Amino acid sequence: MTEAVLQLRNVTKKIGGRTIVDNLTFDIPAGEVFGFLGPNGAGKTTTIRMIVGLISMTKGEALIKGVSVRNYFELAMTHVGAIVENPEMYKFLTGYQNLTHFARRHNGITKERINEVVAMLGLQNRIHEKVKRYSLGMRQRLGVAQAILHRPSLLILDEPTNGLDPAGIRELRDYLRKLTKEEGISVIVSSHLLSEMELMCDRVAIIQGGKLMDIRSLQETRDAAQTKIIIEVDDIPAAEQLLASVFDAARMNTIGSQLELTADKEAIPHITKLLVNAEIEVMGIHAVQKSLEDQFLEITGGEMVV
Amino acid sequence: MSSLSKLIRNENMKIYMRPRTWIMIGFLLLTVALLSGLMNWEASRNPSTDWEQSLTEDNNRMQQELQNNQDLHENQKADMTEQIKLNAYYLEQGINPKEPTLWDYVDISSNLIILVTILTVIIAADMIAAEFSWGTIKLLLVGPASRTKIMVSKYIATMGFALLLLLLCFGSAFAAGGILEGFDGINQPLLSVSESGIVQQSPMILDILPKYGFAVISLIMYVTMAFMISSAFRSSSMAIAFSLLFMLVGNSVTMLLSSYSWVKYLLFANIELSRYMEGGASPIRPEMTLSFSILMLVIYYLAFQFIAWLLFTKRDVAA
Repeated sequence: MTEAVLQLRNVTKKIGGRTIVDNLTFDIPAGEVFGFLGPNGAGKTTTIRMIVGLISMTKGEALIKGVSVRNYFELAMTHVGAIVENPEMYKFLTGYQNLTHFARRHNGITKERINEVVAMLGLQNRIHEKVKRYSLGMRQRLGVAQAILHRPSLLILDEPTNGLDPAGIRELRDYLRKLTKEEGISVIVSSHLLSEMELMCDRVAIIQGGKLMDIRSLQETRDAAQTKIIIEVDDIPAAEQLLASVFDAARMNTIGSQLELTADKEAIPHITKLLVNAEIEVMGIHAVQKSLEDQFLEITGGEMVV
Repeated sequence: MSSLSKLIRNENMKIYMRPRTWIMIGFLLLTVALLSGLMNWEASRNPSTDWEQSLTEDNNRMQQELQNNQDLHENQKADMTEQIKLNAYYLEQGINPKEPTLWDYVDISSNLIILVTILTVIIAADMIAAEFSWGTIKLLLVGPASRTKIMVSKYIATMGFALLLLLLCFGSAFAAGGILEGFDGINQPLLSVSESGIVQQSPMILDILPKYGFAVISLIMYVTMAFMISSAFRSSSMAIAFSLLFMLVGNSVTMLLSSYSWVKYLLFANIELSRYMEGGASPIRPEMTLSFSILMLVIYYLAFQFIAWLLFTKRDVAA
């Protein structure tokens, strides 16, 4: 990777003495789906809007393919496709006219390209109908079509799943996967829906109060020793005592008739053997992956406002 | 990077694909048709078969008044002398001045430019504010076109719409006049009395174009003001309401306050340049001159453009 598609350098936004976004610095490489996670009011939307120039930066710089958004806005924007919240289209125009409208802003988008994108999103049957007769899901697809017409290097989605039903969310997720794989587009998604982000993103940045708390790779997180092992036995105190000799007692937790243990998945056979040898009746033993939500709450100190 | 001409095509598409625009155009054409019909009906109601007799009578009456009435003002005397000369010319050439010609219809249509102005003000006020109302502003601004470019394209498209309405107004009145009175009236000259006291002819269009010209100046001012208001408010209904309010109330308020000398600095006191022309109403303040008003209009125009630009390009789009 020679250059990151998006580079943020000390991006800061202050409004009336209040710091909304505080010194954000990170890079997004090509072909990555990058999630922006944080409670409402954490500064996700503000950051995204600063990247696309809707909101001015108080300090810092955003570079898209090395081009400064502030100094060379038009050039930087040729690399960007955006879906900002619910894609509001011109309702009195047809879907095709809407696409023509957005295509005209870029150089060299042919009719063939428009038709190709329309077909790719399965809109060909109703593309010549007025957008006011479209369902929300179709508008969302038209929004994606508009954003990818000019083959951008960076796709920006601000709360894209707001107002979509589960099928629509799933559809959107599949498109994003396809786009990143087939066209090598990098994607930034902001959302407060954790489960969504978990399914969509390669890496997430967690921000709170305008500050970057953490960036983590979800693949690593999944593989890492962040698994909880739930053990159901007849004699909990005995099991606890037994396991305390092998595992750190601090990593154990009794909840009702269950014993919770944070350990590698690979430890399960070992634990089972120990319990069986000690003649403790084992009702069940299984691994639960620590969800992003748990990790998120851990990082933000449980101040999740959804 | 977007080319300006393509952006203008986009804005035009957004103007002309809305049914509202065509209702406006239909309304304008209907008004021209109604006015022309009314004029034709009025002329046919008073058939002027004995026009030669009535012109002779008029001239005799004015001659007598000139000789007998000592209280007549100098201006009135001059007007009457001119009218007598013109009437004599009509009689001599066999032209019935009461018989409307094609050009009378076009002349009347210049009064409808106020309607053109109102319709264009509605479009202009909606131009930026509507994008905010629709929520499309975000997608519009996130593209390879600077905000200045987008604003310029919107302004040019608005002015294009004004030009279209003006051409339609002129053209439909011309057509109505031609259909109702015959297109041979096109060569009808304008008769006037020169300073040396001779009846002279000049092309009719030269009399009508200035009327359109003055009306277009006020149109440009009101539309630019509406455009500025549009970039200030982020709701189209507010922008339309305020633009029309300013336009309609501004004039009467200026009249009411005309005893104060600072009134001359208001836009509405300067917007009617025809006041300085021959036969126009006098300026609002006696000390006002044509060059003063032109200067004020230029200052207002630049201020409107600058404020609109500032409001549109420098503010954050948050909602």
